[in-house]
Amino acid sequence: MFGKILVAFDGSEGSRRALQAGIELSKRFGSDLYTISVMEHLPHYAATVGEVKEAQAGFEAFFRDLTKRARDQAALQGVTLETVVKPGHEVETIVTYAREGGFDLMVIGFVGHSNIWGRIMGSTTQNLSRLAPCNVLIVK
Amino acid sequence: MENAYIAMAAGILILLASMASVEMGLSVALIEIALGVVAGNVLGLHTTPWLDFLASFAGIVLTFLAGAEVDVTLMREKLKESLLIGGISFVAPFFGAWLFCQYVLGWPVPASQLTGVALSTTSLAVVYAVLVETGLTAHPTGKLIMAATFVTDFGTAAALSLLFIRPTWWLLAFVAVSAAIIVIMPPLHRWFFTRYGQRVIEPEIKGAFAALLVLMFFAELAQSHAVLPAFILGLTVSHVFEQHRETQRRFRVVAFAFLTPFFFLKGGMNVSLRLVWANLGLLAMLFAAKQVTKLVGVYPPSIRYLSPRDAMFTTLLMSTGLTFGTISSLYGLRAGIFDQAQFSVIVTVVVLSAIVPTFIAQRWFSPREPERTAAARRRSVLVVDSPEAGDGG
Repeated sequence: MFGKILVAFDGSEGSRRALQAGIELSKRFGSDLYTISVMEHLPHYAATVGEVKEAQAGFEAFFRDLTKRARDQAALQGVTLETVVKPGHEVETIVTYAREGGFDLMVIGFVGHSNIWGRIMGSTTQNLSRLAPCNVLIVK
Repeated sequence: MENAYIAMAAGILILLASMASVEMGLSVALIEIALGVVAGNVLGLHTTPWLDFLASFAGIVLTFLAGAEVDVTLMREKLKESLLIGGISFVAPFFGAWLFCQYVLGWPVPASQLTGVALSTTSLAVVYAVLVETGLTAHPTGKLIMAATFVTDFGTAAALSLLFIRPTWWLLAFVAVSAAIIVIMPPLHRWFFTRYGQRVIEPEIKGAFAALLVLMFFAELAQSHAVLPAFILGLTVSHVFEQHRETQRRFRVVAFAFLTPFFFLKGGMNVSLRLVWANLGLLAMLFAAKQVTKLVGVYPPSIRYLSPRDAMFTTLLMSTGLTFGTISSLYGLRAGIFDQAQFSVIVTVVVLSAIVPTFIAQRWFSPREPERTAAARRRSVLVVDSPEAGDGG
């Protein structure tokens, strides 16, 4: 039913629940399981390249550790997890990756990280469920 | 007492700017400028000699960092295209804005020329952040844009240093000292780093600061500006930073924590909202002057190497500006070339040019823009309660 499953994973509590749901679905359907994490808070309109590079390096270190723990968690349950980290706008990047990767199901947490713009413009979950090119499972 | 009060207020504003930057995902510089505007217009704070000096030094440090961020290998790889696009990206708005200010607005020649300099810039940092977000840093289009930006930055630094020089003996001294530092520092670094490096007292950073302070001193004697030698010095030591990442990081930490906030805060403090409001027409005209001259100048050569969409993306990113525009404007205010109204309007144009073309480029011309409409294929949204929902995950 679900050949390829994509979990939107930012390390928040909601996304960790989504990851666990993704692992269980992967075991049940024998699906390929992926996570995508987005570095979305790179400073816009920066004055120095250094400001962007330092922020980028910080996020890369954070996500390196996060995705390693996610792979370990999946491996403990007998599931191979592929992890991807990309910079960009969270919704746009996840939707593009899901479409280009031909995913059958996207699993997302009900509440994840949203910065102040996210709170004003609408939640990441709402926007992902609206724009996703595949079926969406929202885990509460 | 007054100095202590201004230092305290600046310190608190700088802290708030950092926090807001993280929360909003915006550059700290932009927020420091905005809080500087609040400080100057609402809190009634004014600059002091120590703040002026710190800001001037920070401007030179920013220029040095800009030079050090130049990727020389990339420049060589894209030399012909970048010289053409980056060169026109500097020349078109420089002459366009200069002539507009002189003949349409009737401004004096120095103010017109300096406006040309301030509006000719392209912000490498703004460009770089967009390229990272769109995944284009390693793409030929992204490489071309960055290489072209280096050229434009060099043009701006050169113009700012060379336009207002006066032929005195001090100028010769300034040139000689600049050349000596630029020639000596790169080969000297290996010995210096081996003997004095990797210590908490940071001799490497102090060495760079000392060189920049010497440049500033001789520039002042020559009644010039140290941006050009600072930029070239940064360029010549860029490979040193490349080899010593931790030193580069510590240099950035010192600069971002203690120096650059004062530069941007001071820039904002000198902006009068009342004068900006009274000159909205001028603001619109100067903003249009920058954008139109960049468009007319950059798009035609870009289309020779890129698709129409990528050429427009390139043109818009080359139309951004922030740091060099602010450095030029502050120089103009300090040297009495700009009055406060001109300064306020030009800094506002510079800040707008960091935001507006970037937004348009990312929203409508990003080479990887995804379809924003919902997918045509059938899909469903399912909400389930996770069995772990109550245990904190």
